[in-house]
Amino acid sequence: MNLTPAPVAAIASHLNPVHIEAGNRTLAEMQDLASSLTFASLLTDDGFEIVHLNGTHADGGRFASMSSSVQALSDAVAHELKIGTNEYVIIASELGHVIQLRVQGHPIVLAALFDTHETLGKGLSIARIAARRMAELIA
Amino acid sequence: MSEHVVLFAGPMGSGKTTAIRSLSEIAVVSTEATNTDRETADKETTTVALDYGEITIDDVTKVRLYGVPGQKRFDFMWSILAGRARGLLLLINNDAPDSVALLLEYLNDFRELHARGAVVIGVTKSDVSETPSVADYSAALTAASPDQLIPVFTVDPRNAEEMRTLLLTLVASVEMRELLAPAPTPISENI
Ligand SMILES: Nc1nc2c(ncn2[C@@H]2O[C@H](COP(=O)(O)OP(=O)(O)O)[C@@H](O)[C@H]2O)c(=O)[nH]1
Ligand SMILES: [Mg+2]
Repeated sequence: MNLTPAPVAAIASHLNPVHIEAGNRTLAEMQDLASSLTFASLLTDDGFEIVHLNGTHADGGRFASMSSSVQALSDAVAHELKIGTNEYVIIASELGHVIQLRVQGHPIVLAALFDTHETLGKGLSIARIAARRMAELIA
Repeated sequence: MSEHVVLFAGPMGSGKTTAIRSLSEIAVVSTEATNTDRETADKETTTVALDYGEITIDDVTKVRLYGVPGQKRFDFMWSILAGRARGLLLLINNDAPDSVALLLEYLNDFRELHARGAVVIGVTKSDVSETPSVADYSAALTAASPDQLIPVFTVDPRNAEEMRTLLLTLVASVEMRELLAPAPTPISENI
């Protein structure tokens, strides 16, 4: 067993108070931009929830795990087809759109569920702003 | 050409990804993410969706190899992929705390596949931890289900020859089951 303490910089995001604080702020600001946002979560690449939007009752832990799988599978498809870096993942369903994207420079994914009152384009732009904001706050 | 689908399951760090990479003849499809849980398994990356590889045995039998994430929080991937498989290669790392109980737990999680198909157990990392022994696992398996005989081997997933022996044993067992009880039409056959 490896008992060497991890260096401070290596604190996992879901255990890192700075990342949690930044995540809460990012999602709150995101909600102010879009009333159609019904759920949002920031998660580590390996599927741990860092934060989710307050007041929603979806199972955040499970959503985080599924989002991380979906993200990785999409990356694998992009890699297989040699179409460059995967920028967004969109799941457009009858009653809502899920939009996922990476927080640049960090092993963190933003996943957001919008109801269908939002156009996909607006959802994408809000998600992009939020991901950039998160990157800024933890830079 | 006949075809089989085999699932690699077991705890995080037991060597599922390594095993599929050792065996596969095609470039493996992998879904590794930065591992933030270094306590459970001290490695850089962890599988978050699946591994996929292929191997041809006897020139006429193609085996599709699917690996799942080890962590329980990804158990939706277990259900998705177990539905396609008829063979289960359960890897258990000998250095895991209470590894015998852990093996029984994973076997129970995949009991639906076990009931339909064949199972072989591979004990990995016995170079890291010498105990428990294969006999300890066998005894626990027999105690848990006295009417079944599940083969247990030690194996190093980094060693392609050893993995191949294990896989051939599993495939033979799957073929035996198919002779006795032909597979119902799978829900989805291809990815
Ligand atoms: N010493 C030793 N290392 C092993 C053995 N099997 C696997 N490993 C290593 O343990 C790690 C297992 O990681 P991985 O294949 O990702 O495990 P997974 O979580 O089951 O997919 C890799 O670094 C392997 O090289 C073994 O039998 N002995
Ligand atoms: Mg793996």
